[in-house]
Amino acid sequence: MENLIANFNYVIVVILMMIGLWSMLAQKNLIKKCIGMAIFQTGIILFFISIGAKDNALIPILTEASDHKYHDPDVAKVANPLTQILMLTAIVVGVATLGVGLALAQKIYREYSSFDEDEILNKQTK
Amino acid sequence: MPSLPIWQFDVPLLILVVLFAVVALSIRNLMGTAIVFGAYSFMMCLIWAGMGAVDVAFTEAAVGAGVSTVFIVSTIYNTSATMPPRPGGLPFKLFIGVVVTLTGVFLLSAIPDFPKWGEPNSPANATVAPYYISNTIADAHVPNIVTTVLADYRGFDTLLETTVVFIACIAIYSILRVDEARSKTEDSGPVDAEPHYDPSDSLIVRQASRFMVPFMQLFALYVIAHGHYSPGGGFQGGVILGASLILVAISFDLKFLLAQWREKQIMLMVAWGVFLYAVVGLGCVFMGGNYLDYGFLNPVLPGEQDMARSHGILLVEIGVGITVMFSMIGIHINLASNGHFDRGL
Amino acid sequence: MTDQLPILVILGPLLGAVFAALGGWFRPKSSHPLVIIGLVLSFVAALKLVFTVADTGAQKYWLGGWGSKPGYGVVGIQITVDHLNTLLLAAVSGIALLTALYTKRLVDTELAGRQRYFYALFSLLVTGLLGITITGDIFNLYVFMEIAALSSYALIAYGKGRAYMAAFNYLIMGTMGACLYLLGVGFVFAKSGTLNVDDISIILPTLGQSQAVFVGFALILLGAWAKMALFPFHGWLPNAYTYSPTAGAAILAPLATKVAVYAMLRIMLTVYSVDYILNSPSIQSIALGLSTIAIVVGSFFSLSQTNLKKIASYFVVSEIGYMVGGAWLANKPGLTGAMYHVVADAAMTSALFMAIGCIAYRLGQSKLDGLKGVFFKMPVTMAAFVFTMAALIGVPPTCGFFSKWYLIQGAVQAGVWHFVIALLISSLVKAIILFRIVEIGYNRVPHPAVDGNPAIPCNEAPLGMLIPTVAMALGLVAIGLATSPLVNTIIAKALPATLTP
Repeated sequence: MENLIANFNYVIVVILMMIGLWSMLAQKNLIKKCIGMAIFQTGIILFFISIGAKDNALIPILTEASDHKYHDPDVAKVANPLTQILMLTAIVVGVATLGVGLALAQKIYREYSSFDEDEILNKQTK
Repeated sequence: MPSLPIWQFDVPLLILVVLFAVVALSIRNLMGTAIVFGAYSFMMCLIWAGMGAVDVAFTEAAVGAGVSTVFIVSTIYNTSATMPPRPGGLPFKLFIGVVVTLTGVFLLSAIPDFPKWGEPNSPANATVAPYYISNTIADAHVPNIVTTVLADYRGFDTLLETTVVFIACIAIYSILRVDEARSKTEDSGPVDAEPHYDPSDSLIVRQASRFMVPFMQLFALYVIAHGHYSPGGGFQGGVILGASLILVAISFDLKFLLAQWREKQIMLMVAWGVFLYAVVGLGCVFMGGNYLDYGFLNPVLPGEQDMARSHGILLVEIGVGITVMFSMIGIHINLASNGHFDRGL
Repeated sequence: MTDQLPILVILGPLLGAVFAALGGWFRPKSSHPLVIIGLVLSFVAALKLVFTVADTGAQKYWLGGWGSKPGYGVVGIQITVDHLNTLLLAAVSGIALLTALYTKRLVDTELAGRQRYFYALFSLLVTGLLGITITGDIFNLYVFMEIAALSSYALIAYGKGRAYMAAFNYLIMGTMGACLYLLGVGFVFAKSGTLNVDDISIILPTLGQSQAVFVGFALILLGAWAKMALFPFHGWLPNAYTYSPTAGAAILAPLATKVAVYAMLRIMLTVYSVDYILNSPSIQSIALGLSTIAIVVGSFFSLSQTNLKKIASYFVVSEIGYMVGGAWLANKPGLTGAMYHVVADAAMTSALFMAIGCIAYRLGQSKLDGLKGVFFKMPVTMAAFVFTMAALIGVPPTCGFFSKWYLIQGAVQAGVWHFVIALLISSLVKAIILFRIVEIGYNRVPHPAVDGNPAIPCNEAPLGMLIPTVAMALGLVAIGLATSPLVNTIIAKALPATLTP
């Protein structure tokens, strides 16, 4: 059962990323493109977190023992903090890009009154 | 507290996440897309919390599910919310579909080569990461390993991340801000004596937010300050602070918020956070160390060398919190009012 | 203080941007000098580092003081200045400084009323580009890449009308590239466990034939290719650089794609090692094929355009083919040519866009047909323009000649004849375009020196724009004349030791 779950996790991650990527490239609506971008990025973040997961591990916050000291933790029982840091950065970069994308989409709407790429192209070449 | 995976929990969540993604991208109504996207983010957040990534889940809940959804809704609010059906273009979509499928297959071909999922001794888990786990107390006396790595070991990345948020705010400002004659004055000046608000009609919304905002801000300050000991830190706290101001803007009126926090003040504060972070690093250089080596601030900060690092981390997190808070509200104002800074969501 | 030089290269423009963003609200005219100060700091540090590296070798700098811990490897973030990137650092900061001086007039006129954050974004773009060049950590590279990318989207959006859609398309393609790069980093990290460039290069050979490492490499390459606009990912570039305001194009065009090429070189040579490259013939032939197509496509599309800026943008597309092809030839002259061309092309593209900017500023537009008589109206600018075109065609002793020399030598040595033919076709096309411009600008109006013909008033570009343009054009010759010391002292040492000649 564990084996099935392991591969299932990665398969879902790849499917999710590809859905986002398809939407970014093939959809004509600008907002849908932005959302596809966000889905692609969250898929990548899920991928990284999956790499850093450990079976039966605790969260990476150490707790004081009863004598008010921090004892040496069992490394195998603490979730990998490195992948989590990288993904904190990735989330923030993702929302920043999403914000800029939405601002551009709004500006384009102000110019062309449409979110649809084909319509905008028509209006541009007129 | 043992963590997941409990497959009965994990598998349905993963399937739901894919379902939500597909639904979000096929709904015709853009407002519906925004809402489903918010739900998608919440599901992701649960999955990550299940895998032990609590800080990441916290950030995703605040940033992805919370603020991102508000941004999308603000954008749609000023524009059209429906997507007219546009037939055709099928060959291109099929072509992209084939390319994407091939890419997916290519990616999957590498999966058998991966270490077993959850393996504690995989290269990713056993090369550099054990150093952080074993030495966080000795080096910086901070139990939240994620905070130590974020602000100390890989503090440079966090400075750049804060810069990214800063860039997003000034970029959106540059793109959207409409420079009308009356708003050209550098000093926004006092608002006229009888401001014309257009408050939301709902008394319940106004009263509830009046009650919630102070608690939100207090909690956010706790999150920043207690980030050493519990999940949290500068980003999460900053986003919650920004969200509290967004709540004021939405439930009352954008003008009401702008009367409290003027445009110039918001944009200046965005830069001050990055400045604080960069200057703390420079301080370390002046004291003889490398950039962002908080240990060298020991003579200036109270406590031993490891406490100096702890304090350095706190200073830096405050800088991050400031920039993120004002960026979130700055971006929201620009998106919601389409750059006019008057009416809004 | 000298051991802190590497971080100064980054901090200069970063703090300059922050101060410009603050100062812009109090004294709008102060943002430009603040940014100039930051760029001067950065350029001086980078220049000093060139000599330091030439003397003593690679300089490593550990942020936060977290270096290599026994048994774990490097636990912090490392920035490295070595033979591979020191020239590019000096080139990027130098070109940025000149361009900042050049764009002052343009920003004041073209962008009047909206320029509050222009220089802050400009400086942040330069920070991102310098950061990509200097970092020794593959995840840090991603964050710097996004800093540069977000700033460039905003700079392009300063144009009007069509610029917004161009910026949006660039955003989608650029983010796709960055995400693919990040995914590749994920695959590599899953197998190696560290993000440090040097540590990974030690670990990877011990993994043997690993599909995950191969897929990671392919993804990183795809990401870098999307960012540098290699065919077939070049769709965003012509529109983005044409509709961007002149000031934006002047800084984006020379630097953004070249730094992406450097990132590819860094991953290829330091992280993966040239042996890996030679053992992956499939990627090598694909890369060489794409380079050739990029050169040919760029050249032919530039022939059919009527707008100077579009022509220049398609030149950029074809020049990328030079560099990628040279790198993937994976022999000494090819790699030398590629590394030399990164710096040379940055200078050539900068001079080209500066000259076009001067023309567009005075004539109000940049269409080919509108160039009638321009050689009389703006003699100095057109001299610089012709000079730059000669460099692009490959006339000695400009730098363009030497890069073509190395690239053709490498292609002949490796037996990749389609690349040689593409290089020659590209020079031919550029010559055709140059002659066409000379014909329109010189011959389509009555020559004023002949009796009875009306005089054409000389309306040269303002000095603030003219001096940087001429300086950059002369720099092309300077770089060309300095080829021998540059190659022997620095570029040759950046080549991997195991490379067969």
